[in-house]
Amino acid sequence: MVETLGNLAAGFSVALSPPILFYAFVGCLIGTLVGVLPGVGPLAGISLLLPATFGLDATRAIVMLAGIYYGAMYGGSTTSILMRIPGEAASVMTCIDGYAMARKGRGGAALSIAAVGSYIAGTVSIVGLMLLAPPLAAFALRFGPPEYTALYVLGLLVLAYMSSGSMLKSLAMAALGLLLGMIGIDQMTGYFRYAYGVVELGDGLGVVPVAVGLFGIAEILATAGQPTPPTVIKPKLRELLPSRQEWREANWPIWRGTVLGFFIGILPGSAHIISSFVSYAVEKRVSRRPEEFGHGAVAGVAGPESANNSATSGAMVPMLALGVPSGPIPAVMLAAIMVHGVAPGPLLIQQQPALFWGFIASMYVGNVMLLILNLPLVGLFVNILRVPYPYLYPAILVFATLGVYAVNNSVVDVWIMLATGLLGWVLRKLDFETAPIVLGVVLAPMIELSLRQSLAMSDGHYAIFLQRPIAATLLAVGAVLVLLNLYTFARRGLDWRSRLALAEKGEEA
Amino acid sequence: MRQTRALALIVLLLALAAPLAAVAQEAYPSRPITLVAPFPPGGVADLTARPVAAALEKVLKNPIGVVNKTGAAGAVGMQFVATSKPDGYTLLLALSSISIIPEADKIFDRPPAFTVDQFVPIALISADPTILVVPADKPWKTAKDFIEDAKKRPGQISYSSSGIYGTLHMAMELLSHAAGIKLRHIPTPGAGPALTAILGGHVDALASGPAVVLPHIKSGKLRALAGWGDKRVAALPGVPTFKELGYPDAEFYIWAGVFAPKGTPEPILAKLREALKAAVAEPDFKAAMDKLETPIAFKQGADFQKFFDADARRLADGVRKVGRVEDKK
Amino acid sequence: MTTDRVAGIGLGLFGAVILEESWRSRLPLGSVAMPGPAYVPAVLAVALLVSGVIIAVQGAGAPRLGAVGWQEWRHAAAIVGVCAFMALAFERLGYRLTVAIACVLLLSLVERKAAVSALIFAASMAFGTYYLFDTLLRVQLPRGPFGF
Repeated sequence: MVETLGNLAAGFSVALSPPILFYAFVGCLIGTLVGVLPGVGPLAGISLLLPATFGLDATRAIVMLAGIYYGAMYGGSTTSILMRIPGEAASVMTCIDGYAMARKGRGGAALSIAAVGSYIAGTVSIVGLMLLAPPLAAFALRFGPPEYTALYVLGLLVLAYMSSGSMLKSLAMAALGLLLGMIGIDQMTGYFRYAYGVVELGDGLGVVPVAVGLFGIAEILATAGQPTPPTVIKPKLRELLPSRQEWREANWPIWRGTVLGFFIGILPGSAHIISSFVSYAVEKRVSRRPEEFGHGAVAGVAGPESANNSATSGAMVPMLALGVPSGPIPAVMLAAIMVHGVAPGPLLIQQQPALFWGFIASMYVGNVMLLILNLPLVGLFVNILRVPYPYLYPAILVFATLGVYAVNNSVVDVWIMLATGLLGWVLRKLDFETAPIVLGVVLAPMIELSLRQSLAMSDGHYAIFLQRPIAATLLAVGAVLVLLNLYTFARRGLDWRSRLALAEKGEEA
Repeated sequence: MRQTRALALIVLLLALAAPLAAVAQEAYPSRPITLVAPFPPGGVADLTARPVAAALEKVLKNPIGVVNKTGAAGAVGMQFVATSKPDGYTLLLALSSISIIPEADKIFDRPPAFTVDQFVPIALISADPTILVVPADKPWKTAKDFIEDAKKRPGQISYSSSGIYGTLHMAMELLSHAAGIKLRHIPTPGAGPALTAILGGHVDALASGPAVVLPHIKSGKLRALAGWGDKRVAALPGVPTFKELGYPDAEFYIWAGVFAPKGTPEPILAKLREALKAAVAEPDFKAAMDKLETPIAFKQGADFQKFFDADARRLADGVRKVGRVEDKK
Repeated sequence: MTTDRVAGIGLGLFGAVILEESWRSRLPLGSVAMPGPAYVPAVLAVALLVSGVIIAVQGAGAPRLGAVGWQEWRHAAAIVGVCAFMALAFERLGYRLTVAIACVLLLSLVERKAAVSALIFAASMAFGTYYLFDTLLRVQLPRGPFGF
């Protein structure tokens, strides 16, 4: 413990030195910008700025890139809450309750809670990273295809909790999303599926165009033509901060989101965006007022926002402790340090203590910087709501198109965004939830691949899922959850959801 | 009067034509050149492309921008360059997969995204031999042990790869055919997950470029058995090549080379060749490649053509032999 | 014709189309032990088909299709048209020109705002965002035939 503190102190001396401080700040600033811009997410931001880091030394490079990464998680909530457009894929869940809060005049509160939640999650998860990196990484490595399959199956159960409407409708949306996720090259056999000769579809639709389309474009299509445009909200300064009640409601979700996000982030290849989806579902499950979700539940903002921030620290665990990328973003960061001759690997922490501890310390500093940066910006951003809608939405359209295009320099992505936008609009009219589709598009390729990988490993025997302890445990947990639900269902007679749906129908009839 | 007017007209026309003629013969390069890297940032192609672009920029004294056009294991970026104007302003940094993708398309009866003849090879930059690694806790101490065990238990030993028909998969396939063994292939979505799979002990073997696995060999988690190169890897002098062990057909490099679309005028090609030759000699470039632990293996002109043709033939054969994985079940 | 009926039929049809497509493109199905490329999509398509049918059958209680209120469809169609124009023109006309035209179209034709404000808005959007992305984020945005 003493050694760790000593190392940390040394790290702070590195992190607080002016050049490192500067690059961390630049990274955080660009990250916030990248997060606010719809479509362009941290991956695009880091990839675009990777060449700029080649002239810097390894520590500065990694500090700046990490700043972009977790900075984007702070900024991503802004457009989600104010305009129902995901700033980046991980902020999709914040769109739902965050925007509802904004419409109720609590936009400033939502932004503040998101910022503070992100700060707490970011800082606490760095402690985890700092103290537990090597053993956590070793644990994460034990997750192979069967464990991932079990985990994703558990994740599918999450879908059941995400929607407020009828269970059947959300199942249908999940199936649709999963099907859309099947487009692309089949990793196991090399066949192109449903791509119809468009090479760009080889990697699938891509979660960014789908998320921006389903939430952002659909929102614009539904709102722009309304005879009465959305009321221009003129927030007063006092209304910008959350009330005591709201802070109380945000407390536990923030902590739960932190722990959840961190563990999901550690697992290589688990797609850290699902951390916000899982957090939303968990919050809904444990909440005493689940019917609030979808209409401005504070927990629906606090949980997912904290989860996606701590997932970024979790993602660094395998990267730093083992030299193994846990996703595309850590892969780029690894490349950035490789280019400077620093060999990533299990010996990194020992061989490059200045780099490791300086990096950790700069993450603490970066989170503080972002909090200081974002809280006053709340007052600034909330004024976006004052802009009359006829001027606002063309600007959003331009940013969204630009952002989606910039990710891959591909017009096909823009078409996908447009098509899913139309789909999202029609689905909204027909009273279907669109969030399960995004989760389906993300999960589908992963769950199918790990299932088939597991079967390839075991030569076709499904027993492999029961033979491996972690996989078996996860499946058992899933089975218990399903049984619990069936039990409650049978006992209460009617799910609260159907009761709510019935009540709504009664109101309409 | 009329004559003067006609003369004036001719002079005027000549005056107008002169700049056009100058434009037609404008020096190459006069605009920024785009070097397309068909892989995501941070990958092998990208990390090789950037030092190349930087060094080339210095030599040609002209800006060169690296653009990542990712998708379909490189097919998107390669198709983009294949169909772009052959004026020397769009170049491709391709990996060995350039020969694999069209063959794979053929097997699946798909119209190919592009064909190898749509490109003109300019120069080879690097050629990393792949090496075979196994987890350190496995009983095989030499490649011979591994191959013998594989013969005893066909289809039981598993290996991960960066994707079906990808470079790491083809390397293993070439070995399998050369040594007459059958292994079990577990594809993963990239080189990173492939490495994670073997580090976690979920697969038994991996063919990988040396740079990524070197730290793990040094720390004792992985053991290198043999290499697919012509010569031993400099950082691993104790690891024999498959050629030495008696399997000369198992030769595979993850190479990176610069290509231009077919039809690019010869003078531009010649200039690029000269420029690349000078670029790889730049000390900055050498330092960058050293840091990446990627040895420079420069070949150009006829040399590269020979290397490329032989490699393409080997890979095409390999892909055909693999055939459609589904059909084998 | 209630919303649920329409949606259910739509989803069911989509599932059926996918099933037919997988059949026709001869994607191998594989077996339960070794699923082929068409296996999981087929399962999902069946799930979609079944749930679509059930939704349609149970759809009597949902609001009528007309009652939902589609009055914004013309507006939405215009927006979709402008976005489609942007997608088509992006790489042909270059970024700034495309965005400027799109903004002018949206503001003058669709939103009936004054021409002057439309032009100012369009210009600032096009050039402002170009500067933001090109200079600060180093994204290469397409330049049109006028080098623009």
